[in-house]
Amino acid sequence: MQTETPRPESSDTGSASAAVGGSGSGFARSSMHLGLRTIGLPAGVLALIVIFAMQSSVFLTVANFQNVGLQAAALAMIAFGQCFVVLTAGFDLSVGATASLVSVVAAMAMQDFGIVPGVLVGVAAGACVGLVNGLVVARMDVAPFVATLAMLSVATGLGLMLSDGTPVGGLPSDFTALATQQVVGIPVPVVGAVVVFLAGLVTLHGTRVGRHIYAIGGNPDAARLSGIRVAAITTLTYVVCSAFSALGGLVLTARVGSGQPTFAGDLALQSITAVVIGGVSLAGGQGSIVGVAFGVLFVSILANGLNLLGVSSYTQMLVLGVALVVVVVADRRARARRSGR
Amino acid sequence: MGEALLAVTGIGKSYPGVHALDDVSLELRAGEVHALVGENGAGKSTLIKILCGAEQPNSGRLLVRGEPARFSGPGDARRAGVVTIFQELSTQPYLSVADNVVLGAEPTRPGNVLNRQKADDIARKALERVGGGSLPLRRKAGRLTTGQRQILEIARAIALDARVVIMDEPTASLPASDAERLLQTIDELRRSGCAILFVSHRLEEVRAIADRITVLRNGRRVGTGTPAEMSVDRMLELMVGRSMDDFFPWEARDLGDVVLDVEGLTRPPAFSDVSFQVRAGEILGVYGLVGAGRSEVMRAIVGADRLTAGTISLNGRVRDLRTPRHAVNAGVCYLPEERKADGLVLSASGRENMAMATWSAVSRLGFIRRNAFKARTDKLADELEIRGNINAPVATLSGGNQQKVVIGRWLARRPSVMILDEPTRGIDVGAKVQVYRHVQRLAAAGTAVIFVTSELPEVMHLSDRALVMAAGRVITELDRDELDEQRILAAAFAGGSASDPGAVNPR
Repeated sequence: MQTETPRPESSDTGSASAAVGGSGSGFARSSMHLGLRTIGLPAGVLALIVIFAMQSSVFLTVANFQNVGLQAAALAMIAFGQCFVVLTAGFDLSVGATASLVSVVAAMAMQDFGIVPGVLVGVAAGACVGLVNGLVVARMDVAPFVATLAMLSVATGLGLMLSDGTPVGGLPSDFTALATQQVVGIPVPVVGAVVVFLAGLVTLHGTRVGRHIYAIGGNPDAARLSGIRVAAITTLTYVVCSAFSALGGLVLTARVGSGQPTFAGDLALQSITAVVIGGVSLAGGQGSIVGVAFGVLFVSILANGLNLLGVSSYTQMLVLGVALVVVVVADRRARARRSGR
Repeated sequence: MGEALLAVTGIGKSYPGVHALDDVSLELRAGEVHALVGENGAGKSTLIKILCGAEQPNSGRLLVRGEPARFSGPGDARRAGVVTIFQELSTQPYLSVADNVVLGAEPTRPGNVLNRQKADDIARKALERVGGGSLPLRRKAGRLTTGQRQILEIARAIALDARVVIMDEPTASLPASDAERLLQTIDELRRSGCAILFVSHRLEEVRAIADRITVLRNGRRVGTGTPAEMSVDRMLELMVGRSMDDFFPWEARDLGDVVLDVEGLTRPPAFSDVSFQVRAGEILGVYGLVGAGRSEVMRAIVGADRLTAGTISLNGRVRDLRTPRHAVNAGVCYLPEERKADGLVLSASGRENMAMATWSAVSRLGFIRRNAFKARTDKLADELEIRGNINAPVATLSGGNQQKVVIGRWLARRPSVMILDEPTRGIDVGAKVQVYRHVQRLAAAGTAVIFVTSELPEVMHLSDRALVMAAGRVITELDRDELDEQRILAAAFAGGSASDPGAVNPR
């Protein structure tokens, strides 16, 4: 049973929550409040920063943080999308394949029609993938694991067919430049990720659809009996997830400078890792996109710091796996302690 | 009446946060049937658990034939001759009748080999004593009817040399003829000098079989008396702690036109050919046993399940309520039987749960207007007298307050038809009265109310008219002045079970 009540101190833990949504107008704060479930994760992120700052002189520099942001941006967008689906008690294994497919499709469209049409075509292609996922899950009642596993295969195959298995080059230089340009010192992809975050935050916490998503994840039967369009809204979450993944795919495309049919292999698992570390329950209905943002930061800073320390990528995988379990167990313990008294 | 075989004095038991029993005394004498009645949560189960050694009391004494005793486990109680037959029967479905009777005390030959002859002998004698002599010894227990398995359980108790038999709602799931047979068996046990503790919700039946009746309320004994001293209404008043008129606030209301008219509703195998009407301002009680098909009919009316045949008319117009969404939009609201499984999003706050069906009323262009949301849910919480923090996850509220949250969700929509499926299950007496009042108020405001219940007093005291369902059909329709326990129960069992097809048998 999740019985924690947000304590006063928890509202100033997530600075994002205080800045964005903590209006304090007596808005129901249990699941509608925008903060985190515990202070553990921000503390963990802070601890990582302190540890790496002591170990590496390069870590605590503006350039490095720009680098972290750049690397985290695509994962962040995809994880924010994943968050929508996980809140309905589903998950999407096809996000990486979708990003790859979008990369190819958008690159091909860009070659012929320019940047803006390319971006639009890419996002539309992503949304279509999500629509199919959503319809198969919500209307045909196929388990999300199966439906999105199938889509993982379909989208990957489609991307490889369209591109003949080779990168699609010849992108407009204005597009590839976006990956390195900055707005007041902040890389453009990071700005994009922040925009996606804000859109997700407002949708989930400030709109009717958002409340319906939480209700469906918390108890689909109760939601249906209350007259909520469970199938339609569930489908919508898959569309949002794939559309956000498409944006992530575009960021990656700009960074590597070509449409890549294969670059996004483990994004699905990484995004689910970030969502879970961020405190969103795989059982649905609980957690916040603010937590997911911290989850992405945690994963990205961990990878960056370990890189700077010269830890091999093999070892990093091992560390990430252990960190996942440690964070989840610690989070559960903390919540059990709070609800126990 | 003989000596006190088993007694408790001044028993108290508390669990974290609850006083389950407080200073309860009770004695079971040889040759006596002692009935124990009370609302759910009154402490009956806790008392039974203490008597059979499954739980230890925090205070008070347990006496076996006048001698202080201590049961540190069910084994101790059995050795002292106290056998308990629980509602969930503990017969082994894949073992034969004879094997079940001797289970745990199998007679053996040297070398620990089962002495089948002796086992059969013990089983036959025990079964004969309890009126089960006709049960085939080799039949698998799983193939017996519920009533036959009850008798098998009692035979098992006899085989164990029980002097005290405790029975937890033995007739609850039995059709009338089987219940009758069971009561005869209990009578025979009594004559052979056993003491019997008999727990039942059927108050007429309790008066017919018991020598003495003890009433529990909120963990306290509030009265003990003979059937002559304990009329059904007296028992009810003791159980709920207030007068019946106060407990069931029924008032005559002006009935309007027919609002809901259903005709030939069918969804095999759950129910078939169900027809009824409800008027504006009317409370229609729907009674039936578990499995009678009541909830299934209601779910189909609100579009949660598909109908294979039948029509639903609202205010004279045939409507196609394909999904709960259609039903809600047509003003037909449903409070589901399983509050936690179907009614609430437990992880969401009380406020959110109340707003769940009416987000559109507190939002503009899809964006939620927080002040309107807050004002609206505050008003509902106030109206329904919800106690507890409605900002916290609804799981932290008590059962009664959780139910009020679900009611609040629908009150906000001003339904023209409100279907309440077991709305008082598992909530305390105080909350029940409040729920009854809201039901009355809803009807007085012109809503057509359907009140599904398996509590006899509720259907008898709250409804203007009642349907009794059994085996997926409406057996009878009774007006308020025709509602009595015998009549309702006879109809409720009329659907028949495999053991007695079509027995319509008002005793």
